[in-house]
Amino acid sequence: MAVEVDRKNEEIWEMQDWISPGISACVGCNVELTLRLCLKALGPRTVLAIPPGCMGGVGVVGWGATTGARVPVFFPLLDNTAAMLAGIKLQYERRGEHINAVAFAGDGATVDAGFQCLSGAAERGDDIIYICYDNEGYMNTGFQRSGSTTQGSWTSTTPVGDSSPGKSQKKKDFPMIMAMHDLPYVATASPAYPRDLVAKVQKAMQKDGGTKYIHVLNPCPNGWGFSADESIEIARLSVQTRVFPLFEMEDGQFSPTVAVKNPRPPREYLSRLKKFRHLDDEGIAGIEETVQHRWERLQKLMGEGRPCRD
Amino acid sequence: MTVNVEVVTGNEAAALAVKMSRPDVIAAYPITPQSSLVEHLGQHVADGQLDATMSEVESEHSAMSILQGASLSGGRTFTATSSQGLALMYEPYFRTSTLRLPIVMAIVNREMISPQTVWGGPQDSLSLRDSGWIQIYVENNQEIFDTIIQAFRVAEDQDVLLPVNVCYDGFYLSHLTEPIEVPPASAVDGYLTPYKGEHIRLDPDDVMSVDPLTPGHMLMEYRRRHLEAQTRALDVIETADTEYQKITGRSWGGLTYGYRLEDARAVLVTLGSMTGAARVAVDRARAEGRAVGLLKIRSLRPFPKQRVREQLSGRDAFCVVDRNVSFGWDSGIVYREVLGAGIDGSIPSLNFIGGLGGEDITVSMFDYVVDELWAAANGGTTRDSCEWLCNPQRSGDR
Repeated sequence: MAVEVDRKNEEIWEMQDWISPGISACVGCNVELTLRLCLKALGPRTVLAIPPGCMGGVGVVGWGATTGARVPVFFPLLDNTAAMLAGIKLQYERRGEHINAVAFAGDGATVDAGFQCLSGAAERGDDIIYICYDNEGYMNTGFQRSGSTTQGSWTSTTPVGDSSPGKSQKKKDFPMIMAMHDLPYVATASPAYPRDLVAKVQKAMQKDGGTKYIHVLNPCPNGWGFSADESIEIARLSVQTRVFPLFEMEDGQFSPTVAVKNPRPPREYLSRLKKFRHLDDEGIAGIEETVQHRWERLQKLMGEGRPCRD
Repeated sequence: MTVNVEVVTGNEAAALAVKMSRPDVIAAYPITPQSSLVEHLGQHVADGQLDATMSEVESEHSAMSILQGASLSGGRTFTATSSQGLALMYEPYFRTSTLRLPIVMAIVNREMISPQTVWGGPQDSLSLRDSGWIQIYVENNQEIFDTIIQAFRVAEDQDVLLPVNVCYDGFYLSHLTEPIEVPPASAVDGYLTPYKGEHIRLDPDDVMSVDPLTPGHMLMEYRRRHLEAQTRALDVIETADTEYQKITGRSWGGLTYGYRLEDARAVLVTLGSMTGAARVAVDRARAEGRAVGLLKIRSLRPFPKQRVREQLSGRDAFCVVDRNVSFGWDSGIVYREVLGAGIDGSIPSLNFIGGLGGEDITVSMFDYVVDELWAAANGGTTRDSCEWLCNPQRSGDR
């Protein structure tokens, strides 16, 4: 099935929106935007899993007798999203009916509590599309730390004080962990690059069989400390500083998808965020070192690579 | 009707029953003493004898989660576990009943750690008796086979729509070889009609939101209906048994099974595989002229309170032998359940605990139990504490 994977922004705007208007996300939330973009690409033959997290909290599954989506949607547990979805897909496969079995899950439900069942589904090759919206912590419940929180961050469970510099451990390189399951498709994406995001969801839909994984970095105005109108700008800066490079892995081949010709130093991004404001130069340099190390590792995997779509 | 006789272990009997029930999706994780059940199911699929999708999951938590997804898509589903696996599964386990998904799961009963153990005892499933599932406890391999087939019918009944556990003692039954009668596939197919799953469903052609955040007054309505479904299941379990009798000639009594109860002055209450030894002790007592009968609880959830009340009222004494403990009550769980049926408090009752961690409950122990029971029936009183049944040859290990 050939699918147009490089749509213009105007075309994306015109695509049907499958999420109800008026869900109660915070002002400036780019996760809501990400969800709407993903569903535009996925379309109506989709069964959507929204585990506990921001998108569950804002009512995408619904409140009382109402629903937040125009496609079948359900609340899995925080830690069984991939398995429940896999079961849905297995039964539809038995009946010979095609659906997109799609998870839209936060980083807590993905890299922490839900990791075992996601890894199991990936290993078994369950035919699901798993999209992680990574806002670096439990943003829905008051900004607690997760395994995806960047080192040095203030969070409500890694508060900053005389004897604590915020989170002391590094962020899991989770897209890479999923890539090492040898999946048919792994990608990173950003709400600041909607064409790239939509293309990646459509590519994932084209891959028959196996788990497809897309990791989106979603800077959170309330949890990270920046103003709502900077939401997309901060997301773009995460890519332009190579804090969060946009790439894909397709059938084992790593490729960049958005070229950053003149990368800016990570501190330009870090200094915009209140959660890093307490860090001294040494703390900032430590994060920059990790960013550089991971970028070099990714570059080695990309090798000659394929040219950017961008 | 052609009936095959197969000589099989309890786990093989369970696998045969699952095969004949034609599930769509099976997901299971191996654990002693359940493992050979999963292996047999895998073999049936590999041999082309069972057209089911099997998922070899990475944990019991995912086993139940995959079945939830398959059931929400209209599939008939099965899994099995034991002990620590059930404990790991608890989060989706509870939710299976509150989502009203008619999943059938065998629980090959195994003691809970600590101390470390792998041997039999229904502490695992009994500890989860208030999780909204139907739980039926069985005594032998034939009853395992028959009850698993009946379980799908009960679970999927439109008046019930609840998941069902068929519970049997690890090793005592899972690894015991006995002959069982297997009815022809056509008879089982007539007994079990295909599952439709229309009450809750994830389907792009019939869009439904499953489990939006639900305010308390609606949640209370869900709970009330869940309790009502459990109550309706009392009749459905009985009907499933009588209808099954029509195709096989076998009845297990439905909610409870009685033995020599008619004129019994004193009644011994059991659960699970210990019933065989208890029956021998009852026969011995009868041979000595003591009017003792036996009541085996089959359905622990829903608890057949009216039936138990009727069966124990007017007796001179009753006792319950528990292969489990109820922490904080200084008794076993089944004893507390039986007392909860509202039996006349002036009838003396006793509680014995034995057979934990795979220990035998021997016929001579039941002889002792019957002696104590008979004494209670002849001028004894209720004791406030349980009595422990220990093997004197083995207690030297302490």
